[in-house]
Amino acid sequence: MSASGSKLVTVENLQVQFFGGTNPVRAVDGVSFDIAEGETVALVGESGCGKSVTAMSLARLVPQPPGCYAGGRILFGGQDVLAMDEATLRKLRGRDISYVFQEPGSALNPVFTIGWQIMEAICIHRPDADARAEALEMMRLVGIPEPEQRLKSYPHELSGGQQQRVMIAMAIACRPKLLVADEPTTALDVTIQAQILDLLRDLQKRLGMAMLLITHNLGLVAETAHRMFVMYAGRIVESGAAPEVLAQPRHPYTRALLEAVPRLEGTEGRLKAIEGTVPNPAELPPGCKFHPRCIFAGERCRVEEPVWEAQSPECGVRCFFWKELA
Amino acid sequence: MSGGPMLDVQDVRVYYGSQQHPVRAVDGVSFALNRGEALGVVGESGCGKSTLGRALLRLEPVRSGRVLLDGVDMVGLRGAKLKAFRSRAQMIFQDPYGSLNPRHSVGGMLREAVAAHNKVERPDREQRVAELLRSVGLDPAYTRRYPHEFSGGQRQRLGLARALAVEPELIIADEPVSALDVSVQVQILNLLKDLQQQLNLALLFIAHDLAVVRYVCHRILVMYLGKVVESAPAEALFAHPRHPYTEALLSAVPDVAKGLAARTTGQNRIVLRGDMPSPAVTIPGCPFHPRCHRVREKCRTEIPALREIESGHCTACHFAEEM
Repeated sequence: MSASGSKLVTVENLQVQFFGGTNPVRAVDGVSFDIAEGETVALVGESGCGKSVTAMSLARLVPQPPGCYAGGRILFGGQDVLAMDEATLRKLRGRDISYVFQEPGSALNPVFTIGWQIMEAICIHRPDADARAEALEMMRLVGIPEPEQRLKSYPHELSGGQQQRVMIAMAIACRPKLLVADEPTTALDVTIQAQILDLLRDLQKRLGMAMLLITHNLGLVAETAHRMFVMYAGRIVESGAAPEVLAQPRHPYTRALLEAVPRLEGTEGRLKAIEGTVPNPAELPPGCKFHPRCIFAGERCRVEEPVWEAQSPECGVRCFFWKELA
Repeated sequence: MSGGPMLDVQDVRVYYGSQQHPVRAVDGVSFALNRGEALGVVGESGCGKSTLGRALLRLEPVRSGRVLLDGVDMVGLRGAKLKAFRSRAQMIFQDPYGSLNPRHSVGGMLREAVAAHNKVERPDREQRVAELLRSVGLDPAYTRRYPHEFSGGQRQRLGLARALAVEPELIIADEPVSALDVSVQVQILNLLKDLQQQLNLALLFIAHDLAVVRYVCHRILVMYLGKVVESAPAEALFAHPRHPYTEALLSAVPDVAKGLAARTTGQNRIVLRGDMPSPAVTIPGCPFHPRCHRVREKCRTEIPALREIESGHCTACHFAEEM
């Protein structure tokens, strides 16, 4: 499967800024990508690279203020999300796009039962449906044992893995076209992580939804994604089919990330650390944003910012020297 | 001093709750650790790995068992002797934000640690603080700064400098990199590895990420419900796990090479059913049997003992030979 299906989401030159200090912080600066129906796309990067802000923007969830959509367009099924009125937006959120977040413990409301929380979305978006029966069906679908009893449980009575299953049940209750999973398994143990991933993949196949997977774990990307976008300092620095990017990364950042991950099969010699830290988005360096940490950086990288070079509609890279490095 | 291992842990138990219904957080763990050796402890959350690490430093009460450091049992130690023990064994914590006092400057914090055990004369302490900062890759000019001025990776370096301040021989690192970004993780792992070799430290490295543990450690203990279910040299454990739990853990870890290979072969991972049970509940037979993908009748009734199956490779599974 590739992007041959029709486009569900198209993001064009998205600019998201935050105001607070003296200068606006450009959290997302000119991001463009698309997601086809039924496709799994991964957005990869370290904390502070703007991947979550990008994901939130798909349903215009960035709070304004302090946030501000300073430019670009987001088309969901042909409609411009950034220009929508509140009523249309409400229909989009939860029905067409839904989210699964990293911390199920803090994303669930502690004072309502699991059943109430799953039924809420069904009641809002599908008023004709039998909410209770649907909620039970969803809980069975995500593999929660004894769903009848669990309907009456409160979030604190469930384990982290079960809470994440509830989050997923809520997210798919209205059969969304796009599921945004923001680090869905980071807070979970590896064995539970494997359960949740299998569940997500299985549901995606059965319900035919597209998935945007936000993660910093390249192993997850290798196992699940069709295409991947690597972000650094609010920009996409490389994109392409996930197996190809992972096997032959072209951008020095993607390379460095891959070389910095300890491997299960063992590492020969030392892992190469990426020196320095992710830059503060309020004080980005001039030129290529990665140059202070890049081992290949030349004079040109310090003064001029590389533009996006698309090799095909599916793959591209933002680096002056990617050809020399290949 | 005996000729045995530097740290000899014998049948250590940590129980919480009442006598009638104890929660067996650590339930009879034994191992040995030598100078210059790095031992990894892995397992899911709730398996008792952090409690074990804390108990070894007497940060949690030990119910029974012996912890011998060069032949001296530290379980009964009090007062000055306990303090002396702690100058030989130090801990690095998971949360670099929570484990540093926000009101102490870097210099103040390190000076306090250096002074606490009186290993360095007063006039030389400033010098020692600068040395410590340099050894963990920080600028000695940072002494006047406070923890909030540092990034997560730098704070973990400070945590390491503080642990090294008393010139310990044993360091217990509890998930030291799991709160850090991928690119910074490796910086800390490499630093830890280097210091461990340079200073010939014994390192107990507690983590849930098997790939990270493999990178740092020579030998690995796998824990489940307070017990060691497998222990082996790192190479052997990864090449040929001899316990179904280890096998499932390895299979569950997302890995780039494995993930790419699975796309072409379509190979499925082993997915364990359910969650880890509460350590308050007593499970008959093998504690892992309700989730085991290789479970048989014998496992439901008989508790498997930890036994050596190859030289240096121990497992607590009835059917280890068949794996």
